[in-house]
Amino acid sequence: MTNEIDLSQLPPAEPYDKARDEAQRARLMKAWAAPKGWKIVSAVNNSFIGKWYLLTSFAFFTFAGLLALLMRAQLAVPENDLVSQSLFNQLFTLHGTAMMFLFAVPIFEAVAILILPEILGARDLPFPRLSGFGYWCFLIGGIFVCGSIFFGVAPSGGWFMYTPLSSDPRFSDLGADIWLLGLSFIEVSSIAAAVELIVGVLKSRPPGMRLNLMPLYCWYVLVVAGMILFAFPPLIAGDLLLEMERAFGWAFFDVDRGGDPMLWQHLFWIFGHPEVYIIFLPSIALIATMLPTFAGRPMVGHSWIVLSAVGVAFLSFGLWVHHMFTTGLPEISLSFFSAASEAVAVPTGIQIFCFIATMLVAEVRPSVPMLFAGGALAIFVFGGLTGVMVALVPFDWQAHDSYFVVAHLHYTLIGGMLFPLFAGIVYWYPFVTQKMMNDRGGKWAFWLMFGGFNLAFLPMHWTGVMGMPRRVWTYQLTDGWAVLNMVSTIGAFVFAAGFAVFAINVLWPRGKQPLVTRNVWNAGTMEWGAEVPDKPWGVRSIPYIHTRYPLWEQPELLGEMDRGEWLLPDAEEGKREMIVTDILDARPLFVQRVGGPSFLPIGAGVSLGAVFIIATFHLWTLTLLCFAAFVAFTLTWLWTGTARVPEAPEKYVGRGLTLPTYAQGNRAVGWWAVFITMTGDMTAFTGLVFSYFFYWTALPNFLPEAARLPAVLPLTAGVVLLLAAWCMTVFARSTLGKGGRGLSMALLIGALPVGALGIAAWAWAAQAAGLDPTRDSFDAMVWMLILWMFLHLLLSWVMHLYVAARIAANICQPEYRADLMNLTLFGHFNAITAVVTFALLALFPMLMGV
Amino acid sequence: MPKTPHYDAPSVMDQGSIWILVAAPSIWAAHFLVSYWVAAVYCAKSTTGALGGLMEPRWIAVWLGLACIAVIAWLGVIAVRRYGGVFVIFEEITESSERGRDKFIGHVALLLCVLSVVAIVFTIIPGLVFNEC
Amino acid sequence: MLSGCDGRHNWMAGAGEESAQVKTLFIVLMIGAGVIWSAVVGAAIYAHKRGAHPNLEREARQFVIWGGAVLPTVLVGALLVWGLIILRDITADDGDLTVRVDGERWWWRVIYETPEGDVITANEIRLPIGQRALFRLTADDVIHSFWVPALGGKMDMIPGRETTLTLTPQTLGSWGGLCAEFCGGAHALMRFDAIVMEPEAFDTWLAEQAEPAKLSADNPGFEVFQAEGCGACHTIRGTDAQGPVGPDLTHLASRDKLGAGMWDMTPTNMARWITDTHEMKPDIDMPPYPHLNGARLDTLVDFLMRLE
Repeated sequence: MTNEIDLSQLPPAEPYDKARDEAQRARLMKAWAAPKGWKIVSAVNNSFIGKWYLLTSFAFFTFAGLLALLMRAQLAVPENDLVSQSLFNQLFTLHGTAMMFLFAVPIFEAVAILILPEILGARDLPFPRLSGFGYWCFLIGGIFVCGSIFFGVAPSGGWFMYTPLSSDPRFSDLGADIWLLGLSFIEVSSIAAAVELIVGVLKSRPPGMRLNLMPLYCWYVLVVAGMILFAFPPLIAGDLLLEMERAFGWAFFDVDRGGDPMLWQHLFWIFGHPEVYIIFLPSIALIATMLPTFAGRPMVGHSWIVLSAVGVAFLSFGLWVHHMFTTGLPEISLSFFSAASEAVAVPTGIQIFCFIATMLVAEVRPSVPMLFAGGALAIFVFGGLTGVMVALVPFDWQAHDSYFVVAHLHYTLIGGMLFPLFAGIVYWYPFVTQKMMNDRGGKWAFWLMFGGFNLAFLPMHWTGVMGMPRRVWTYQLTDGWAVLNMVSTIGAFVFAAGFAVFAINVLWPRGKQPLVTRNVWNAGTMEWGAEVPDKPWGVRSIPYIHTRYPLWEQPELLGEMDRGEWLLPDAEEGKREMIVTDILDARPLFVQRVGGPSFLPIGAGVSLGAVFIIATFHLWTLTLLCFAAFVAFTLTWLWTGTARVPEAPEKYVGRGLTLPTYAQGNRAVGWWAVFITMTGDMTAFTGLVFSYFFYWTALPNFLPEAARLPAVLPLTAGVVLLLAAWCMTVFARSTLGKGGRGLSMALLIGALPVGALGIAAWAWAAQAAGLDPTRDSFDAMVWMLILWMFLHLLLSWVMHLYVAARIAANICQPEYRADLMNLTLFGHFNAITAVVTFALLALFPMLMGV
Repeated sequence: MPKTPHYDAPSVMDQGSIWILVAAPSIWAAHFLVSYWVAAVYCAKSTTGALGGLMEPRWIAVWLGLACIAVIAWLGVIAVRRYGGVFVIFEEITESSERGRDKFIGHVALLLCVLSVVAIVFTIIPGLVFNEC
Repeated sequence: MLSGCDGRHNWMAGAGEESAQVKTLFIVLMIGAGVIWSAVVGAAIYAHKRGAHPNLEREARQFVIWGGAVLPTVLVGALLVWGLIILRDITADDGDLTVRVDGERWWWRVIYETPEGDVITANEIRLPIGQRALFRLTADDVIHSFWVPALGGKMDMIPGRETTLTLTPQTLGSWGGLCAEFCGGAHALMRFDAIVMEPEAFDTWLAEQAEPAKLSADNPGFEVFQAEGCGACHTIRGTDAQGPVGPDLTHLASRDKLGAGMWDMTPTNMARWITDTHEMKPDIDMPPYPHLNGARLDTLVDFLMRLE
C-alpha cells in the first residue's frame, strides 16, 4: 500500500493542558448533548435508541409471555373452558409471532445498537437516524400487531401462516392482513438495523483494530446482520405474494387457479430456519464476550469461534426443509436437508467446547452472569441433542408438530437465547445505568427460572411421545396427557415468577445506590472504558487499538483517552463526528459527520407505519397520501442530513493526522449502505425468481402455450430501453465528474421517460398476451415480476429527480458527488433485475421450447 | 508533518481480501442447492421416478461434490500459504500487523475449508443410500 | 394388550412396523443424548471446580478439536446414515390394501379401494393386522396432517397434491389418530380411531361397510332426517339422502366415536351433537338444530343409532 500510516509510530500527544481539556470537553458536550424534556424522543444517539429498543422488546416479551401463561392455564386440566377455541388460536399465533418478530430479533438489534459502538470505541454508529427510524417502525408495527388481540381480530393462523388457511378469504380474516402488513413493516426495521450494524462493524472500528484483533462480539454481529440480509427478504417476497392474493385476488397459492400452497412454506422457512440462528448467535456472542472477563484471560480458540459463527451462518440456510419433512417431498430431497441439519451440529459444538476449554484453563469467578451462562449451557446442550434427533427424517415424522418439538424449540431458544441474554443484562447493567443489580435477586431469579423452565418443558418431551399434537386448545381426560400438562403449567408459572423477580431487579429505582467503579468487572473490551459518570460522547478521544483485549493489554490507554490524547478529541464545528476506517486493518480513512437529534426519522417511521396499517383496511387513497408523506419526510431527511459539502476538504484530528472530511464511492459509508440494502433487495428478487422456478418444477403445465406468452419483441425493446436508461445514469456520473453539470442533469432527467417506455413495453406485452393475474399462477407471476421492476423504477425516478435537484442546488458537485455515485450503484442493481426478468419472461420459455 | 492517507478498496481475491472467508462455505451452498434442485426437478419431471445411471441426481451430487472438494482443497492451499506456509491447526494470532491479519484470515479460511468439505461429504451421503425419489 | 386409555396415542407403543423402527431409534438416541449431555455438563462443572490451570492449554485445545469437532462429526455422520436407512425401510410405493383419506374441516373422508369399487366411510379406519396399508392422502380446503402415533409417522394432506404413507399394524387394538397440522378452528377436535383387526374380521367389516343402509320401508326417523334437510349434506346409501358435503352416515352407528373421533357413540351424545353442535365443536359447518326436541329428536337419534 502506498501512503501507509504506521499508527504505532504517530507523533506523541501534546502535553496535557487542563484549560484545553475543559474547553474540548465543553464543545464535545454541546455537540453530543441529548435534547431536553419531551424533545428527548427526537434523540438518535445509540445509547438512547438502544435503551428504548431494549425496553420495548422486553415489553413485547412480557406480553407474549402472558399469552403463554393463559395458554398454560387453559391446558392445565383436560376439557377446560377458560378460553375459547378462537381465542386460543389467536393466543398461540400471537405468542409465536411476538416472541420471534417482536422480541428475539429486535433484542439482538437493541443490544448491538447499545453496546457495539462502545465496544468499537466509537461515538455512535454511522447512521444514528436510521437506527431511530428502525426503532419507531418497530414500536408502531409491534403495537399494531399485538393490539389486535384486544379487538378480537388477532391473526389466528399460526405464526407460520400456512396457505391456504391464511390466503383463502373463507378461512381467514383481517388478522391475516394484520400479520402480513404489520410484520413486513417490522422486517423493514430489521433490515435497517442490519445495514447499520454491518457498516458499523466494517467501517467504524477504532484505528488499528485489524480483523484479527476484532472482538468476537463484532464477528457475531457481522455474521448475524449478514444473515438477516439473506433470510428476511425471501419472507418479504412471500408476504408480497400473499398480500397480493389476499387484497387483489392474484393467483399464487390457490390450487384451483394453478397456484401452490407449498410455495409459501418454502419462502417462509427459507427465512424461518436461519431466523433461529439469527436469534441464537447474538446471544452466544454475549457469552463469548462475558466469559473471558470472568475467566480473566482471552478466549481459547478465537479463530475457531469465528469459524463456527461463519459456518453456522452458511449451514443454517440449508436446513429449511426440515420444517417440511412431512409434506411428501421426495425422500432424496429430504435427505439433503437432513444431512445439513446434522452437519450444523458440528460448528455449534465447537463454540460450546471452546467455552468449556476456556473454563478449563482459567479460574472462573462465580457471578450471576456466569450462573445464567451455566444454566444456558445445560439447557441449550439438551435442546441441541433433541435437535440432532428431529433432524433425522423418520424420527421427525413422529415428533413433528407434537409437543416434543415444542419442548425442543423452547430448550434451544430459552437455553440458546434467553438465558445468555439475561446473563448479558446482569453483566451490562452497570454499563448502562452505572449501578449494580442486586446479587441475591439475580440468584433467586435464576433458580426460579431454571427450575420452572425445566419443570415446564422437560415433561413436554414425554407429552409429545404420548402423542399430543401442537396447537390444540383442549384434550380429553382419556388421552392420558393431564398429569404432564398440569406439571408443565406449574413449571410455567414458576418460570414466570422468576422473570418477575428479574424484571423487578432491573426496574428497581437505584437513585441512592453508589455508582460503580470504572470497569467494574475488570473486563478487557473497550465498552468498559466509559467514564463514570458517563458522558454522552462515549469516548473522550478515539484510541489506537493494537490488542484483542485493550483494557487488559494496553494499560495506559484509558488515561490517554481521557486526557484527549488520541483522535478527534474536539468538536470545533459543534458537529457530531466519528472516524471511518477501512475494513481490513482499520486504517483511518476520513471523518464522518453523523446525524444529531431530529424528528424526521419519527415522521418517516410514523408515516410509513400509517401506510402499512391503513393498507390493512384497504383504504387505498389514504394509504397513498401517507406514502407521499413518508417520501417527503425521507427526502427532507436525506437532503438536510447526508452528503453535505464540507466547509474544508480536510480536518486535523490530532496526533499529526489530517483526514478528509468527505468520501464518495466505495470509501463512503453511504455507498456501503446502498450496496448492502440492495443486496437484501436482490435476495427478495431472488425469492421471486425462486417462486417462478418452483412453479415450473411443481406444476406440469406452468408455462402456457405460445399464444399466451408475452411477445418477445416488445419484451426485448423493453429491456433495451431499461438498459439505455441505466447507461444514461452511468454516463451522468462520469459527465458530472468532468464538470458537465447541465448535461448531467439532462441525462438524469432524460433517463426517466426512457425507463418509462421500457416498462410500458413490458406491460403492453403482458396485456396484449391477455395475461390476467387473477386467472392463474403464470399470469400472476409475470405481472409480479413486471410490478417489481416498475416499483424499482419508480424509486429510481424519485432518486433521479432528487440528485438532479441536488446538482441544481450545487450540493452535488463535480468533486463531491456521493449522491450520484450511490444512485449509479442502485442503477447497477436495477440493471441486473431488468436482465434477469427479461431472461425469465422471454428467454426461459423459448429455451423450454414453448 | 500531517499526512493524508488514501487507500483503495481491496479487489476481490487478492492478498488481504476477506472474500476467501466466504468462498469455501459458498461452494458448499452451491453444491447443496444444485444437488437439491437437480433431484427436485428430476423427481418432478421424470416419469419413472427411478434413479440409475451416472447422470442421475445421486451421481450428479457425487461428481459435483468431488469437484467442489477439489476446488476447496485448492482454496485450502491458498489459505495455508497465506497463513504462513505452515499447517497449524490451533494458534492465537494476536499480532498487530498486516501479516498477523493475513495469517488470521488464512487460519479461519482453512478451518472453513475443512468444515465445508465435511458438509459436502454429508450432502453426498443421501445419494448413496437412496436409489429412487 | 396396549389398547387402554393411556397408550392410545403413544408413539413408543410400537404397534406397527414403522413405529417399532422409530422406537428403537429413539431409545438409542435417548441413551446417547443422556450420555453426551452428562459428559458436556460434567466437563463444564469440572472445569469450573478445578480452578485455573494455565498449563493445560494444550489439553484444552485437544479437547476442542477432538471433543468439539471430530467426535460430533463422526457421531452425527453415523446417525445420518442410520436415519436414512430407516427412512428407506419404512417407505414404500404400494401396500396390501389402499385407503384414500381426504382431510376436511375438521373430519376425515375415508375411501377403501377394493376390486369391487370404492367403499366410503368416515372418521374411523380399520386395518387388518400384519398387512401393509398404503394411504393416499389429499385435502380439500386447508392443510391437515394424518397421524396415528402408535402405528407410525405422520404425513401432511395438502390441497392440490396427493401424498402417501404406509402403515403396517402389528398389534390388535384401537389406536388414536389425530390431525397434526394446525388447520384452523377446531383443529384440536379432529381425530379418528384406527382399529387393528384380525384379517377375517376386517374382511367381514369391509363387506358390511360396502352394503347400503338397512332400513325398514316406513321409518319416521328418516322422515325427520329428510325434513330437517340433513340429506342435503349427508349421504345414506340406499336412500334419497345423497349429500356429498358431510361425512357418509350409511353405517354411522358401526363407528365407535362421534364428531370425528371425539365422543362415544351414545344416544345422549348424539342428541347433544344435533342440538348443541357448536358447543361441542365450535366453528364447524354443520348448523345446530336447537329447535329439535322431545319425540322428534328421539326419533331421529333412534334412527341414526340404528345405522349399523
